[in-house]
Amino acid sequence: MQTFLQIIANGLMLGGLFAIIAVGLTLIFGIVKVVNFAHGEFLMVGMYLTYLLTTGIGVHPYATAAAVVPILFVFGAVTQRLLIQPLMHARDEHIQIFATVGLSTALMNLALLIFGADIANTPNHGLRSQIHLGPVRILEGQLWIFLAAILLVTGLQLFLARTNTGRAIRATAQNRAAARLMGINDRFIYVLTFGIGAACVGFGSALIAPLYPTSPTIGTYFVLIAFVIVVLGGLGSIPGAFFGALIIGLVDALSGFYIGSDLREAVVFGIFLVILILKPSGLFGTRVSQSHVSP
Amino acid sequence: MTDTTLKSAVTPARIGRHRLGLIALGLVLAALFVTPVVIGDEFVYHIFITICIFAALSTAWNIVGGYAGQLSLGHAIFYGIGAYAGVILVNMGISPWIGMFAGAAVAVVAAVVVSYPCFRLHGPFFALATIAFLEVFRVLALHFRELTGGATGLMIPLKIGWEWMVFRERLPALIIAFGMLLVCLGVAWAIRSRRLGFHLIATRERESAARAAGVGTVKVRLFAVAVSAALSAMVGTFHAMYLTFIEPSSMFSLQLSIQIAMFALIGGIGTVWGPLLGAVLLVPITEFARGALGAEAIGLHGFVYGVVLMLVVLFMPNGIMGVLARFASGRKEAAGDEPDTHIAAVARTDVAPQIGDPVLRVEGLQKHFGGLHVTNDVSFTLREGEILGLIGPNGAGKTTVFNMLSGFLKPDQGSVTLLGPDGEWHEPGNPGDFAALGLGRTFQIVQPFAAMTVEENIMVGAFHRYHAVSDAREAARETAHRMGLGRYLQDEANSLTVGGLKRLEVARVMAMKPRVLLLDEVMAGINRTDVKRAVDLMLSIRETGVSIIAIEHVMQAVMALSDRVVVLSSGEIIAQGDPQEVVRDPHVIEAYLGKEFADA
Repeated sequence: MQTFLQIIANGLMLGGLFAIIAVGLTLIFGIVKVVNFAHGEFLMVGMYLTYLLTTGIGVHPYATAAAVVPILFVFGAVTQRLLIQPLMHARDEHIQIFATVGLSTALMNLALLIFGADIANTPNHGLRSQIHLGPVRILEGQLWIFLAAILLVTGLQLFLARTNTGRAIRATAQNRAAARLMGINDRFIYVLTFGIGAACVGFGSALIAPLYPTSPTIGTYFVLIAFVIVVLGGLGSIPGAFFGALIIGLVDALSGFYIGSDLREAVVFGIFLVILILKPSGLFGTRVSQSHVSP
Repeated sequence: MTDTTLKSAVTPARIGRHRLGLIALGLVLAALFVTPVVIGDEFVYHIFITICIFAALSTAWNIVGGYAGQLSLGHAIFYGIGAYAGVILVNMGISPWIGMFAGAAVAVVAAVVVSYPCFRLHGPFFALATIAFLEVFRVLALHFRELTGGATGLMIPLKIGWEWMVFRERLPALIIAFGMLLVCLGVAWAIRSRRLGFHLIATRERESAARAAGVGTVKVRLFAVAVSAALSAMVGTFHAMYLTFIEPSSMFSLQLSIQIAMFALIGGIGTVWGPLLGAVLLVPITEFARGALGAEAIGLHGFVYGVVLMLVVLFMPNGIMGVLARFASGRKEAAGDEPDTHIAAVARTDVAPQIGDPVLRVEGLQKHFGGLHVTNDVSFTLREGEILGLIGPNGAGKTTVFNMLSGFLKPDQGSVTLLGPDGEWHEPGNPGDFAALGLGRTFQIVQPFAAMTVEENIMVGAFHRYHAVSDAREAARETAHRMGLGRYLQDEANSLTVGGLKRLEVARVMAMKPRVLLLDEVMAGINRTDVKRAVDLMLSIRETGVSIIAIEHVMQAVMALSDRVVVLSSGEIIAQGDPQEVVRDPHVIEAYLGKEFADA
């Protein structure tokens, strides 16, 4: 029982971490309708920034968020403006996939050139110390990530639901042409959304860096899991991404213990494939209305 | 997406350029083999062998990713299966020449199992699913250590000679790699220039239009995936022998899958020779960075790849072949050998048309979309040689009825039965079966295959009757001339006007020689002269014994054409019969114009 509770706790904590990465991805996926294969590399860039700032000027890793978040926002916005925007009207949607795959490959290898293949450990300032929470033990940093994930998800959801900018973003996602007719600058909305999505992962990277060693390929693992979560939760659904992340976190922890740690990924991706094929709208997504006029 | 090898040339200049292109490609291929032999350096050999392997993999990928338009980022699955099958069998004392085919067989099974459920997914979702499958394969390969050696990998035993595909010198390896490249190119070229290639590209461009033209869209894509997987696996077997050591993370690698796709994109996705050109240009960068710069430059080649990929999608999305094609075809000279171009005037006989026995029976159709009752108890019969006008206000459910008449929608209740050429009544279940029984349809929103020329578009319809490309081309040309599209044969379908696209839509279905024709607003949005032409055209089609149901809003045409009219409003038939009488029916006037008008 003790073990089981500990596994559940680990799963939830892992879920919080996944959520903080997946939220930005689902936002970009749902609004700009682009699969950002470079999202994991955004995380990697953020983690290296945190690493450089903490080791360079010796601040607490969380404090680096003040710099990392705006930098990643600009990075995301520039990506949308220079790389995705010119391809929004491409006849072939594969072109956009190749564009972000290219960005991902370039960033990953650039990091390899600059930092080498060795891992970089961000000073953890006591965030790796264990705290007891009833019968289970978790790392202090994990708890902060979990709380931050809840904060981020709630904040984003309120932003989209309650502010005018949020409404404009949702309107653009639902019908771009109609949104333009209502005077919304759709290009600006896309740039803004991409920026926010990247900023979210920037926020996440300041929290994740003290717990996970940074390496050029760190993004690849997380981005694949994040895709699983985004599809599971329903495209563009922020609460969906949160709960999807918790589910995947639990599945990862439970299958790691009961099936074998080397098969965890097979279980996670197996679930992903089943969802993708049987219910592509995700567990929490609403069915996209299908036009019946022209098949 | 321009493929110079396909456009059967009309003008001598074109033939010349075509031949020039082939010579250039022949030279590239010859250079691939001759250069390393002449230089004789180990490292140069290695680079050229690697070019051949990647070009072969990329060419195989292109059959799925390019022709069929299914963006697979999991092709390393098949490559890895081939590699493991080869090495495992070699360790059991079986020659890789046999292992190669064993690997191909396993890969084909895996490909069909993996792809079949994924074809429902489009665009990024298909790509994500293939990545997920790749991850599953990699994890499984790591897990089943007894078979694969797990993370420690597998070595091949040192048995040298042709039988084992392992050599002390490099030349035999180059011969095999080059041979595999030729096989892949040959298969890719054969697929692209035959009916299958047309079917694949039609499916990629417009799946529903392809289904309406009788293309088995799932079948052709499965076939493409199977061929592509088999070729990739065979290359994988050889590459494993060449590398002498394999491990899951380098065999089932996402990076490798991306590279394979990338070469095709950079060279020209969907073209026969593009993947070869992409590999020829990019592989040396990797190998030089790895060989010459060594550890200092780790990541350099990947960085260059990524940047090149971004630049290519931004500035030359059709790849090198796209650029070459633009240079080569200094833009077409007007093909002036087409005097006709107008719809061949048909000697109109004033004899009343022969209307025969029923060919299509519609009984009690019901359809709901959620709470919306879109079709309510619709029944009618179409007779041989008849033109039946299906009219009704917007939203009456006309197109929905058409979708049920052609198998695109299943009715909730009721049946559509069609008299087959065998004289029996059939109840087909899907668009393919309807097409096979001789029913053709057009789409209200035109669905041209944008990446094809007008001639190739019509050929897709003609392939319904013919297997050979030359026959289909002949039939397509004949149909095009009849439809007044003769002078546009070599133009991209996208360059036509709205009227032209509507005619292309009809031409494509006419090339199928249907017995029953469903025309969905072929006259909407075209000008008066075109309407007149279209009316003549439909009458001439009918005179060849085809039965027609036409949805139409152009009243002048409906009145002139229809032998009988069915009026649909809110999903129900409110009137049917002689056109002149129907338009005077107060229910019909009310449906179109409102109650006041009916009373007036």
